[in-house]
Amino acid sequence: MIAEEKKPGLVSILKPYKGLVFLLVILTILPSALNLVVPKIISNAIDDFAQGGFVLRTVVIEFSVVAILIFILTYLQSVAQVYAAERVARDLRTKVAAKISRQDYSFIDRATPAKLLTNLTSDVDAVKSFIAQAISSIVSSVFLIIGASVLLLMTDWRLALAVLAVVPFIGATFYFVLAKVRKLFLRAQAAIDWLNKVINESILGSALIRLVNSQAQEYGKFTKANVEARDISLDILSLFAALVPVITFLTNVATLIIVVLGGHFIIAGSLSLGGFTAFNNYLAILIFPILILGFMSNVIAQADASYARIADVLVSPDAKDGGTRKAALTGAISFRNVTLQKGEKPILKDVSFEAKPGTRTAIIGPTAAGKTQLLYVLTGLARPDAGAVRYDGVDIGEYDKQSLYSQIGFVFQDSILFNLTLRENIAFSNTVSDEGLKRAIDTAELGDFVDALPDRLDTVVSERGTSLSGGQKQRVMLARALALEPKILLLDDFTARVDVRTERKILKNVRDNYPGLTLISVTQKIVSVEDYDQIVLLEDGEIIARGTHAELMKNSPEYVQIFDSQESTEHL
Amino acid sequence: MINYQLKTFEKGDKTTTIGGAVKSLGPLLRDEVRPIVISLVAVIVNSGANLLSPFIIAYIIDKYIATKDFHGVLMYSGILAVIYLLGLVAAYVQTKVMGGVGRRVLFKLRNRIFTKLQELPVAFFNANKAGDLISRINSDTDKLNQFFSQALLQFFGNIFLMFGAGAFLLLLNVRLGAASLAPALIVIVITQLLSTWINRTSRTSLQALGGMSAEIQESLANFKVVVAFNRLDYFRVKFDSANKENYSASVKAGVASNILTPIYGVASNAAQIVMLAYGIVLIASGNLTVGFLIGFLLYVNNFYTPLRQLASVWSSLQLALASLDRISEVLGLGSDIKVIESGKKAPPSAAAAVLSFDRVFFSYTDDKEVLRDVSFALEKGKTYALVGPTGGGKTTTASLMARLYDPSMGTVYLGGRDIRSYEAGERAGKIGFILQEPFLFSGTVGENILYGNEEYGSYSNEKLLGVLEARGLGGLLARFEKGLDTNVGASDSISLGQKQLVAFIRAVLRAPELLILDEATANIDTVTEQLLEEILRKLPKETTKVIIAHRLNTIENADDIFFVNAGTVVHAGSFAHALEMLMSGKRAS
Repeated sequence: MIAEEKKPGLVSILKPYKGLVFLLVILTILPSALNLVVPKIISNAIDDFAQGGFVLRTVVIEFSVVAILIFILTYLQSVAQVYAAERVARDLRTKVAAKISRQDYSFIDRATPAKLLTNLTSDVDAVKSFIAQAISSIVSSVFLIIGASVLLLMTDWRLALAVLAVVPFIGATFYFVLAKVRKLFLRAQAAIDWLNKVINESILGSALIRLVNSQAQEYGKFTKANVEARDISLDILSLFAALVPVITFLTNVATLIIVVLGGHFIIAGSLSLGGFTAFNNYLAILIFPILILGFMSNVIAQADASYARIADVLVSPDAKDGGTRKAALTGAISFRNVTLQKGEKPILKDVSFEAKPGTRTAIIGPTAAGKTQLLYVLTGLARPDAGAVRYDGVDIGEYDKQSLYSQIGFVFQDSILFNLTLRENIAFSNTVSDEGLKRAIDTAELGDFVDALPDRLDTVVSERGTSLSGGQKQRVMLARALALEPKILLLDDFTARVDVRTERKILKNVRDNYPGLTLISVTQKIVSVEDYDQIVLLEDGEIIARGTHAELMKNSPEYVQIFDSQESTEHL
Repeated sequence: MINYQLKTFEKGDKTTTIGGAVKSLGPLLRDEVRPIVISLVAVIVNSGANLLSPFIIAYIIDKYIATKDFHGVLMYSGILAVIYLLGLVAAYVQTKVMGGVGRRVLFKLRNRIFTKLQELPVAFFNANKAGDLISRINSDTDKLNQFFSQALLQFFGNIFLMFGAGAFLLLLNVRLGAASLAPALIVIVITQLLSTWINRTSRTSLQALGGMSAEIQESLANFKVVVAFNRLDYFRVKFDSANKENYSASVKAGVASNILTPIYGVASNAAQIVMLAYGIVLIASGNLTVGFLIGFLLYVNNFYTPLRQLASVWSSLQLALASLDRISEVLGLGSDIKVIESGKKAPPSAAAAVLSFDRVFFSYTDDKEVLRDVSFALEKGKTYALVGPTGGGKTTTASLMARLYDPSMGTVYLGGRDIRSYEAGERAGKIGFILQEPFLFSGTVGENILYGNEEYGSYSNEKLLGVLEARGLGGLLARFEKGLDTNVGASDSISLGQKQLVAFIRAVLRAPELLILDEATANIDTVTEQLLEEILRKLPKETTKVIIAHRLNTIENADDIFFVNAGTVVHAGSFAHALEMLMSGKRAS
């Protein structure tokens, strides 16, 4: 029953810990063996007493030594077990994290952060409980079952066989119930996941819920999940409620056999009273491990499934190692025939454009046109299905990532702040100098804001940046990109949350303080990009038009339409 | 102002006792009196059966086996069999009924937590890391789940068995019984002494786990920045330190909680040796029979085996108590957004206004005032724009309009009445708010549009489509690959602009009296935005609109413009005047 559950996958993680596991097995067997000795001492004492050869001192000394040894060994065993489990868990987490950190963004995007979080937490925990519970439980259970059986047979084989006849019944009951329970456990886990999802979304969407007063609706969702979780757990309970008493009863049947048959043997003179006591004691030792084995098969099944999920992450191929080219970029960008798909959905269709060093390019287009994804391809965050991105005529793949990323500043559309000080958030890259940091802060017009903070640059900004306004967060993002002193700056809808006056000032600062910068700006506002060297109009993943503002106004009706929608404010 | 920041680190200064836990669970146990009584009876019968059997066995040995009367052995074995059967039934009832109690209590506790989460104001969620909050709720309820569905039963049954066996031992022979129970007493004292240590380490370990999950979640969610700024080492370093901290905390907790089991084992062995030695002395002096010594040894097992199991349950009880503690902290929080009896009437000047601020002051934390002495009034059917530099207080002003927060001083009036005197439902029906950062629930676009909508909540897609067309909202669905059936979720499956569209449709469909758009179209292209404007224009004449935006074309149609800067809200009047102020204005200090 147990052996089948252990696939090589799960056991293979133990390989590097051979010594530790061996120690654990030894520390498990020793106290188990000593536990088998205890009933023997008692039964011998009773028999010795009956025969008049009882020496109290010897018995007490023997017994005390055994008891103390058991105490020490059991504790050592549990410490070894904790140590082994936690070490394996820690190392496994490190391995997964190292794997993740060798991946590119598309991997995370595909695997989803939520799933990876599960891999790193609850999946690792399942593997941990396999080591913390299963290994020593199985070893000691098997040892105790065999040991107790042998000792029973040695004491009186006829009575032993009669008592052991009960064991298969216990095993069968257990196997039957657990098979049913396992299915319910899976459903219970799904119900708990569902429950957690409802809770999580109610936390993340707390503001919306309060605004539309949908607490009742949330509560409805929650109740449904909670009722389901309760009902499944009650079903499981019904099975267990029958299981334990039945097994206890079967054990009692064995006791009954000992009393009747053992009584008969004593009367017939073929069994001593001491032997009779030993039988009762060994029976108690025998039953518990059988139950343990059954429970452990569950732990193993869970750990096995979890480890399979972790192994999926671990065996996924590393992101192609970037090239080794470490040249300084001039800022020339070529985007050639790029096609990008997400599943079956085409995001970019054969998109091409060029940007010369020091020029400014705007990318405009409707919502969901693929503008952000274009920037992702440009920085290697997304890998195109066809086509190429070249810097200075050299394919992006040939560049050393570190060198490349230190020359490209990317201001993301969504504000991402780490739970760090403002200084660390802005100087997020390792290569930022103090001077660069100051210039970035000044350029992003953050100086006054920083000065007003209680600890200035050393103020810790909160996780989701709730203590900063939308525009402030956006400017921190800009400062972070500028602090790299990049040759190329990518802005993704940067101006959406910054007011016009500040935006103008900031963009002027960028031109003044970072001359020669190649700028690619995804934006909605034509007015701020009219004087750009080129404007690319993207719609549904395709380039509809490309040229200067004047050219597009002449040639592109789509552009003119967008322009007209904004025209009313053009005079500003 | 209530401080909603949950404690993140406690040095084991406060430990919930079992009594305290029962007290805090008291209200949940009230309906369970009947099943608890039933299972208590079952427990007594079961324990009785368990305890009677060694006595009968001892009796059989002394009376019949010793006298070689096999007929007597058979007869009393029959009685034993009946007792065992009784035990079987009682044990089933006990497990089933008591287990049911545990699961229902857990069910209610989860309900209470969730209800509390729904009651608490936005300030609570802003004060605590989302990741930490989620891990706290999930893992703590999970610990309670494990306790209620597994450990509680063992706890309950074992306590009775243990006390019963203890009582039997004392009744049969006071001196022998007392001698055999003495080790247990020592163990209990030791347990008490150790429990502070065990509690502290397990608490620290739980917190380390929460910290690690939060760390992982943050890093993974922000992975693109980590990659683009070439800081994979950041992820590794941050994770490594959280991982190590978790490791050492877990090992310490494990080393602490595992000490109990061996101690109980040694106590059980000590009791057996005491019993054996003392028992033999008593037999020698004719005060005890061999049969009863064997019976006694069985009782000692009956006492110490449950005690040992209690020890293993103890750690899960400790974990559950620590979790209950942390959950109680959340449950103990109250909302500071309460509905008041009858608020002040608006001053006559603002009596006709849809919404007005009267000398409103506000700060998120005590140190920095975000709004200072703000007064204004919004008239029915007009369109207002809030403009001003970033960080000037626009979103805060809007949040106060929707009562996401209450002013620290001053009053907000809605329809001439103190906004605090409205029931939440009534208030929500009057105010529509499209948040700066749209949130969508996992599900389809259609489900998200209907979210929180009582009027159309039960509509099928076809009927909803009809309603949307009638409101001129149908055209917007073209932006979604599969229309209403497009799947959306927490991940990046749809763009920010699309999320804003869903949020827009959701709010407009509710037809509020006051519609607040907080940069609600910032990431939407201008052509689609024109569509949205068209829709806004078609809203009923009485709808008052408040628009926060940077793109000036979106506020050009505003009837009135307010300039929000450095905590003040200034009436700027016309578009041209507002522009002038904006261009020459000072940034927030």
